[in-house]
Amino acid sequence: MTNSYDDLEGAGCIFVIGSNTTACHPLIARRIYKAKERGAKLIVADPRGIQLSHMANVSVNHRMGSDVALLNGMMHVICKNGWQAADYINSRTENAEALFAVLDAYTPERVQAITGVKAGDIELMAETYAQNSPAALLYAMGITQHTTGVDNVKSCCNLAMLCGNVGVAGGGVNPLRGQNNVQGACDMGGLPNVFTGYQPVSDADANAKFSEAWGRPLPDKPGLTISDMVPAMLDGKIKALYVIGENPKLSDPDWNHFNHALNNLELLVAQDLFLSETAQVADVVFPAASVAEKNGTFTNSERRCARINKAIEPVGNALADWRIISRLATAMDYPMNYGSAGEIFEEMRALTPKSYAGMTYERLGINGLQWPCPDTEHPGTPYLHSEQFARGKGKFHAIEYQDPAEMPDADYPYFLTTGRVFAHYHTGTMTRVSKHLDHEAPFGYVDINPLDARNIKVGEGDPVVLSSRRGEMEVAVRLNEKLPPGSLFLPIHFGESAANLLTSSEALDPLAKIPEFKVSAVQVCRAS
Amino acid sequence: MQDTVKTWLTEGTVDIFLGYKMVEGHPIPHGFSRNCLDEIDEMVTGPARYSLEKFATQLLQIHPEAKIGILARDCTQRALNVLTIWQQISPGQIKTLQVNCCPSPLGSNTDCSYLQPAETGTYKAAHGVDGSQSLQTLEQMPEEERFDRWMYEFQKCIKCYGCRNVCPMCFCRECSLENKDLVGNGHLPPDIPIFHLVRAVHMAGRCIDCGLCEEACPAEIPLRMLYRKINDMMGTLFDYHTGSSPDQSPFSLLGDKPSSGLPPMTAELSKNK
Amino acid sequence: MECKFVPSVCSYCGTGCGILFQVVDGRLIGTLPMKTHPVNQGKLCIKGWNLHEHINSELRLKNPLIKTFGRFSRVNWDTAIRYTADRLQKIIKKHGPDSVGVLVSAKATNEENYLAQKFARAVIGTNNVDHCARL
Ligand code: SF4
Ligand code: SF4
Ligand code: SF4
Ligand code: SF4
Repeated sequence: MTNSYDDLEGAGCIFVIGSNTTACHPLIARRIYKAKERGAKLIVADPRGIQLSHMANVSVNHRMGSDVALLNGMMHVICKNGWQAADYINSRTENAEALFAVLDAYTPERVQAITGVKAGDIELMAETYAQNSPAALLYAMGITQHTTGVDNVKSCCNLAMLCGNVGVAGGGVNPLRGQNNVQGACDMGGLPNVFTGYQPVSDADANAKFSEAWGRPLPDKPGLTISDMVPAMLDGKIKALYVIGENPKLSDPDWNHFNHALNNLELLVAQDLFLSETAQVADVVFPAASVAEKNGTFTNSERRCARINKAIEPVGNALADWRIISRLATAMDYPMNYGSAGEIFEEMRALTPKSYAGMTYERLGINGLQWPCPDTEHPGTPYLHSEQFARGKGKFHAIEYQDPAEMPDADYPYFLTTGRVFAHYHTGTMTRVSKHLDHEAPFGYVDINPLDARNIKVGEGDPVVLSSRRGEMEVAVRLNEKLPPGSLFLPIHFGESAANLLTSSEALDPLAKIPEFKVSAVQVCRAS
Repeated sequence: MQDTVKTWLTEGTVDIFLGYKMVEGHPIPHGFSRNCLDEIDEMVTGPARYSLEKFATQLLQIHPEAKIGILARDCTQRALNVLTIWQQISPGQIKTLQVNCCPSPLGSNTDCSYLQPAETGTYKAAHGVDGSQSLQTLEQMPEEERFDRWMYEFQKCIKCYGCRNVCPMCFCRECSLENKDLVGNGHLPPDIPIFHLVRAVHMAGRCIDCGLCEEACPAEIPLRMLYRKINDMMGTLFDYHTGSSPDQSPFSLLGDKPSSGLPPMTAELSKNK
Repeated sequence: MECKFVPSVCSYCGTGCGILFQVVDGRLIGTLPMKTHPVNQGKLCIKGWNLHEHINSELRLKNPLIKTFGRFSRVNWDTAIRYTADRLQKIIKKHGPDSVGVLVSAKATNEENYLAQKFARAVIGTNNVDHCARL
């Protein structure tokens, strides 16, 4: 997030798009409630009717995958009425003309035709967002998990910059991270092209610095993303995979495809708390310690790095992930002799000058610190880009709307989207074993509008067969009148009705390589 | 105060003392024991308040014979009275050290200044239930409007069960909120208003108005007001004042009085195991 | 008798709420919201309140496992580490470091993610390192 949670409460308007916040980030939803009750306006755009929709001043259900059109439509209205922040655009941004040129064609009427949102509502959204500064924009996977994910994100930024909302308290463009330490995993260089703090592996200086610190010459060619690893596994280019704390078999976009890829490996090593779907097919499984059984730090969505503390001994012979990695490295003739997680943190911060350098375990305390925190006197940074953007001037991107990779047709007439249930998390390995969470949703299901259900002659709890171009599955029906007719919703947590049996591994965002989990075309019929 | 705790521990008056310790600027609840008497110098009484009486009940489930000391405010004392009546603890098992932080005199259920809700925003004032209002103000509203306002509050619920989890009086082994015949599972908001009303009804004769539930509610639903209404009714209809004494059972309105010789439930349960 | 409350951070979603682990006699018996934490101010969602349940689950892995002839058998750490190191080294020798991929975790700590990418880059010698957060 460019801003902090506290900041949200000071917003004049909050625009939530592609985030079912009360279910997926409940304690951020609380800040939205508070802002709203203080008097802030709330706009909610989601293909489904979600809990926040009922509280919103303006609530729309745009067609799945039509986000760019909707955002362009709002910007069209803003420009037509002269609501844009002209001074801000002049002094702090560039390339606005290119954007304006594209926006011309996105009249509310045309956008209505694409998105299904009434022209009047688009005008209302635009007015509400532009006339109640500062306006904060929140999004989650509903924006990113598309073939046009990067376009969607850029459109969100366009809108925010157009109204002067980036770099101000109470504003910002705020992606909510799905898993607890996504931010940290990226910051720490858990990416094929960068070291910690986003220092490129191909940058000669950075590479030399890390090579010296780690005592080995390091490869400078960016590696493969997970989406590229799968074909490489199928081609036999990747022979071994070491999976730490993840369950890609259930989270990868295409179950069948991924399964083949795993079978093709010579060696699969899994490290987890549980025998997850992925661990079951591994050659070696390492038992890892849980969050209560080790020390370390996590970095949350507002870039706050905070400490976790060991409360109990690990169960059985489980070990903290860092201890396992150290032992494996040592066995492979690269001795790692860390005595504590704190020593690793010290090594990391010395190599990460701009963001983490000023953090020490003592300074972090319980509250943690928000990066950038370049030196040990620095108080941390509640919001980014307050003086200027990281790259100087904020750049507008002229983005045209494109259809999702797959649109419903005669064979597969329904839109399918995937997502989370409030009581579960990710692939369910942690939450489904928890009694109180299991009570809320013990099995997978598919949400369907009662009208559609009547058409295919099924009722609550009846089994249906869902099929797509990739595969098919049987799953029980749950009626949900808040879902527009013609759309289905499938939770991602359940191995026995795995959403990735239906989704596609080929529909990827060309840049971010994020699969299009949020839109697929499927057929649904009564199970015989 | 620190000295009293030390004496209690060294002389064996209590086996463990539940209070707070400052950790990196945060008051954290802590069980002080004989083994680390030095820690007691770091003991503080606030400012944050946790459900110490609930922790004591939980400890007694694990160690039925333990003698426990706790820091007690007015609400803690009321809670212990009700827990005794409901046979979750036996009288004398818990020794209290009074820290009367609340301005309220012991025994009367007046507000704790600490619990006064922060100023209510314009939207909430117009559409929701303002926790700083008195029950009387609320009751003067037309019935329909009152209903709408409560429904506005309930529909924000994210079903965290925090109100139940934190409540010292929610000690049931199976909770009705997780009974599918009463409250449906798996969606947000939960079935309203039944989810909240089931709990409200259970709080009759139990809620001691400590406000912990409201403090734990992420949706800022003025839960305490709901339960206060119920206990108001207990007072006016049955002359029953929840938490005011450790002897008056809510069943006394039926005319009977439980024999005081009954062992506490916790001891009985552990015997059955 | 021991009763302590250990401050930590919820490991479910990316909000990062402050929690207290409730520990009695070395056993984890509950999770509570930290009242004074800047992120969640004394509140949690259903996942946070039940964080201890997955940790206490009977299904937790307690020993390293190696699969032989399609079946897992329990081994000790030395065996598991030696076996894995040998097999990885053989693969690297025969097919080069880029024949190995490492998936780090959006659920592990910063320290562990740092170490995992260091492992991939310095020990194996590949930049084939990614996390699953896109998924
Ligand atoms: S809500 Fe009712 S059933 Fe549930 S624990 Fe509380 S009193 Fe018991
Ligand atoms: S105020 Fe809330 S937490 Fe306290 S006893 Fe009443 S219901 Fe329980
Ligand atoms: S604490 Fe509030 S949000 Fe949580 S279940 Fe209770 S009423 Fe609902
Ligand atoms: S308690 Fe809930 S909102 Fe807070 S970090 Fe955990 S899962 Fe996220």
